[in-house]
This record gives sequence, structure tokens and C-alpha cells, in this order.
Amino acid sequence: MSAAINIIEKVPFFGGMFKVEDNELNPVNAWPSLMAMTAFVWFAIAAVLGVSMPTIQFLDLGPNWYYKNITLHGAAMAFPFAFQLMVAMSLHRAGACLGKRADDLFVSLFYIFMNVGALLLTLAVLSGFHVTYTVMFPLPVVGVGNGQWSMATLVLGFSGIALVLTSMIFIYPIKILKMSFFEKTDDTLQVAERTLKDPGMVGMIMGVLILLVTGTPLMIVAGSLLLHLYGIFPAAWIGWAADPVVFEFVFYIFAHNLMEAMAIMIIGAVYSTLPLCLADGARKLYSDKIAMIALWILLVTSLTSFFHHFYTMYPALPSTFAYHGNIMSYATAVGAALTIFTILATIWKHGIIATPALFLILGGFVMYILDGVSAIVISNVAWNFKLHGTMWAGGHAMVVLIAISALWMGMLYYHYPLMTNRTIDDSLARSSIKYLFISYLGLFYSFMAAGAAGMPRRNGDWEGDWFIYGGFIFFFGMMMLYAFVLYFLSLTRSKAIDY
Amino acid sequence: MIEFLYTNAWGAFIALLMFQIPFLLVFFHVVNKKAFVDSEPSKTDPEKYSYSRYGWIAFVVVAFIVVNAASIKYMPTIVEANASTSQDVKNVSVTARSWFFEFSEMEYKVGQTVRFQAKSVDTVHSFALFHPDGSQLFTLMLVPGAGTESAVVHTFTEPGEYTVRCLEYCGVAHHAMKNTLTVL
Repeated sequence: MSAAINIIEKVPFFGGMFKVEDNELNPVNAWPSLMAMTAFVWFAIAAVLGVSMPTIQFLDLGPNWYYKNITLHGAAMAFPFAFQLMVAMSLHRAGACLGKRADDLFVSLFYIFMNVGALLLTLAVLSGFHVTYTVMFPLPVVGVGNGQWSMATLVLGFSGIALVLTSMIFIYPIKILKMSFFEKTDDTLQVAERTLKDPGMVGMIMGVLILLVTGTPLMIVAGSLLLHLYGIFPAAWIGWAADPVVFEFVFYIFAHNLMEAMAIMIIGAVYSTLPLCLADGARKLYSDKIAMIALWILLVTSLTSFFHHFYTMYPALPSTFAYHGNIMSYATAVGAALTIFTILATIWKHGIIATPALFLILGGFVMYILDGVSAIVISNVAWNFKLHGTMWAGGHAMVVLIAISALWMGMLYYHYPLMTNRTIDDSLARSSIKYLFISYLGLFYSFMAAGAAGMPRRNGDWEGDWFIYGGFIFFFGMMMLYAFVLYFLSLTRSKAIDY
Repeated sequence: MIEFLYTNAWGAFIALLMFQIPFLLVFFHVVNKKAFVDSEPSKTDPEKYSYSRYGWIAFVVVAFIVVNAASIKYMPTIVEANASTSQDVKNVSVTARSWFFEFSEMEYKVGQTVRFQAKSVDTVHSFALFHPDGSQLFTLMLVPGAGTESAVVHTFTEPGEYTVRCLEYCGVAHHAMKNTLTVL
């Protein structure tokens, strides 16, 4: 029996959601199921931490708790939940579509690096390493200098981040590239044949290449700093890497494109799945050509649109880069517009079968587009100076993760019968989707309105009107928590497929 | 109307809705119709898809060009560049460090145009100015070692107490990093 199946069977509650039968499809099912299960354990923690933040403000528990929880929430939500769930589903899809094993050394290394790294980072945060959900270098080092946290805590936190980044930037992309181009096909594993000409597969390969290309410079810079912290590199060797401008730019080139990579990958997944849910059984998109053009536009334009994170450094960031970032950000939206057309034209032409899986995927896509609009609005130079640093920007980061997660959770519904040989509870799934979508809209507009009203993001001491927006965020956050409980129940109450 | 759109953060909120509402209406109409009302394959003429495709993309491209072109006049980068030759602009230096600001001047007069030149000397901070009504007027991101100070030109049009805040998380007392500028 696979080690992954063994682990799943020993985990209470979550193990029951992902129990895998011991059969010939284990090489495709077992490790993705374990990853998905582990992702949801992190997610349960992240979701509770999410609603704890407004609670801390209403109960006046102090900024320190707020900064601790926002750091823990970000650390759990972004990588071990959202990214790990994406990896689980893409490995399962690649395995079942290409007939390749998803249970080799790379897969287990990814799992260990991602989860051990996230655990180390969590321990560091619990020990006082409160940097929130993004690393504003040189804050981690300055924090040691002025006594906010200890050097040991910094080393622990950076070690965790390094393991997580290694899993995302090297191990996962290399595994997907191996599956796509090098490993031998095993016909017994190829449940739903796809070729590398399929837009869905192209989106996945584009996504991992973005991670590899934009992440490598960050790994070189962050790796040099970490080796210095370990005492291996002398200070004279790492002065270039410790320059805040160098670190900030390599960080945002990666962090921005990480979100773009996840978006391109999920659009590819929608392109793969939608044709399988068409009412007339056509099993094809309205146009593969337009789908491909959309992916290429997204790829090319997203790479340099990251400048929108730095407009407000002007003139330290020359204005030409600001205008370039502005244009590229809006060009990204042209790719999104073509994607919208492809999806709607496919639905209109062929009709759809209204399954919970497809509805959650389409709902997630709507969430992603709504969030994308908020992103392009703030990418305009004039609006950026009014909104950068407010809840508009913080809300965008949060809701894009929810949108991407919802899409992958929909994909999980679709893959679930193959992974576990069970079907989800249809009624609970539909209720979950309904509450998730309503709460998403409420959260989204609460964040955007708070930003427009000038409420700062990542501020541990709310004042005045901010509590009104915080109240709405809390209310819809609780509703979203309820939606996720229903989602979990739709999996725990799944029924065995009777052939 | 155009000035409100680009000089007030609620203008951005209105733009957000202007983009989103048509998308939501069309998307839900198509999904509802093809999932629940009539899921049979559509008999729409293939040429209509083609017209819709080109029409949709043309609409999106034109809308994006118009929205951005109309905003040029209000971009702080343009305003600052235009003001660089003016003699009537008062230069004020701002230094940010954990967790306070230092200003070369803290009182201003209504109608005065000021160029704030700001820098950080320790970690990443920002210099954000808030109107007495709570709305954000502008923010500057301050990265230590950037080589050049971040700068913005602002004309005070109303008297009152303007709050300055750091909006880039800078540590455990980040929320306390604020100050007040007086406009008489």
C-alpha cells in the first residue's frame, strides 16, 4: 500500500474526505489525494485565522495579536493551502490525462518541502516573527536589530520560506515538465487522454515555466542571504543581495507572476474541464485558437506588468516603467476578455450540464474576473496613488486567492470520483456554492469600499469608520466559513460509487 | 465628472462597477439560459459568433484606451513632472524611520502647492496623506537605498488637520507611525 494512502487513513476527519481505494490507479490518485487533504488541514486553520482578525479588533485584543494572526493566516492560506491544492489537482490531471505516474521522488519531496517549510514558518511566527503575508525586506533583518524578534526566529522563518519556495520554484515545475515531455506513458493510468496541443495542457506548462523563470532570481538572492545567516557566506559576499531595492524587485517579479502563473494554470484547467460538461457531448471549446491566443496574451503581458507594485516609488521608479506597467496590466485584461468570450461562446453553442463541479468552476471564474477588474483599476497610475496601501490592495490579494481556490475546489469536485471512487453529496455541494458566492461578493465589495474610504491594509489598530467596513468583512467572513464547512461536509458525506 | 473619477478613490469604485456590472449580467444570462432554460445546442449562425467576438474585443480595447487616456492629466507622475519648472512650488523633505516621520515643515496654507520629497532610512515605509474626511490623497512607497527620493506634488485646497500614515507594514508599531499636518 502507498505511504500516502497510509497517512490519509490515519488522519481523523480530513482523512475520511480523501480515503483512496488501493487499486491500479494509485500512482495517479494517492499522492494528489494526500496533498489535497493536507491542503485542507491548512485551510481550516487559515479560515479560522481569517475571521479572527476583525474579531481581535472588535474585542480590542491589541495589535500584536492582529499582526501574529495576519502573518499566520497569510502563511497558511497562500502556500500550503492554495498552492498545494493547485499542485495536487494539476498532478492528478497531468497523470490521468498523459498517463504518467504522480508518485515519484519529486512528488514526495514537494510534499515534504512544502509542509515542513510551512511548519517552520508557523513556528517562527508563533515565536514572534510577525512580518505579515509579504516579506518587505529589509524588515526581517531590521526587526532583529531593533528587538522585535530574535536572530534564531529569523533563521527559522527564512529556512521555512526557503523550503516552501524550493518546492514551488524548482521541484513542482521540474516534475510537471518531466511528466509532459520526458516520462514514459503508462496506458493503464491514462484515464482521459489529452495531448500537449490541448489549451488546458498548454496553460499548465506555461504556468510552471513562469514559476521556474521568475522564481530563480529570487532563489539566488534569498539563498545567498540564507547562507549568510547560516554562517556559510561572509557578509562581503552578499552585500548585493541585501540591497532592499534588489530584494524587493526580485520578490515582486516572482510574487506577482506567481499569481499570474496560478491564474494561467487555472484558466487552462477550465479550458480542459468545460468541454467535458457540455450538454451535447461535443467535448470541445468554441475555438482552441482563441483559447491559445488568450493564454499567450496573458503570458506575455503579465511578465512585466509587475511594475504596478512600484508606481508610488516615483521618481525612484522612472515613470516610463510606471506607464509600461499600466499598459501591460490593461493588456492582461485583453487576454482575460478573450477567455471570457471563449467560455461564454462554448456554453452558448453547446449548452452545459449543471453539475456542482462545473458551477463551482464557473463561479470561481466569475470571482477571478471580478477580482481582475479591481486589479486593473488599481493598475492605472492615477488611481494607484489613491488606493495603494489601502484595503483595496489587501482585499485584492485576498480575494484572488479565494477565487483561485474556489476554481481548484471545483476541479476537486470534478476529479473526486476518480480519486476516491466516491461521489460528493450533491445537495450540500450546491448549498456550499451558493453561500460561497454570496459571501465572496460581500467580502469583495466590503474590501473595495474600505479601500476607497481610505482604510489602510495590515493596520493593527482600527479607528472610526473602519469598524463599519470591518463589521461587513466579519459578517461575510463568517458566511464564507459556513460555506467551507458545507464544502467539507459534501466530501465527508460522499457515497461509494456502485458499479 | 471625469475629475471626480480620477481624483477621488470613490471614482475608482464607480469605475469598478462600470466594468463589472455588464460582465455579471451577460455571464449570468448565458449560464442561466444554457444550464436551466434551454440547454440544447444553440442554432446561432456561426457568423454571429464572429461578429460578437470582434465587437467584444473592440469594445474592451477602446474602453481601456479611453479610461487610461482620460486619466493622463491626473497621474501624479505627470503633475510632478509639469510642476518641476514652476517657481511657486514649495519643497518639503520627509524622512521616515521606524516608527515616526520627520518633516522640514508641518504647517501649510490653503492654495499652497507643495512638493513632498520623501525617503526612508531603515526599512520599507510609505508616506500617505489623508484628507480630514479620512480619504487618502496620495501615497508614496519609500524603499531605503532607492537612490532617489520619492516625490509627489499636492495643492492643499481646504484647511484642516491632515493625517500622515505609513501604509507599508514596518513592524510591531506600524499602526502608530502617523503624524498630523496643519493647513490654515
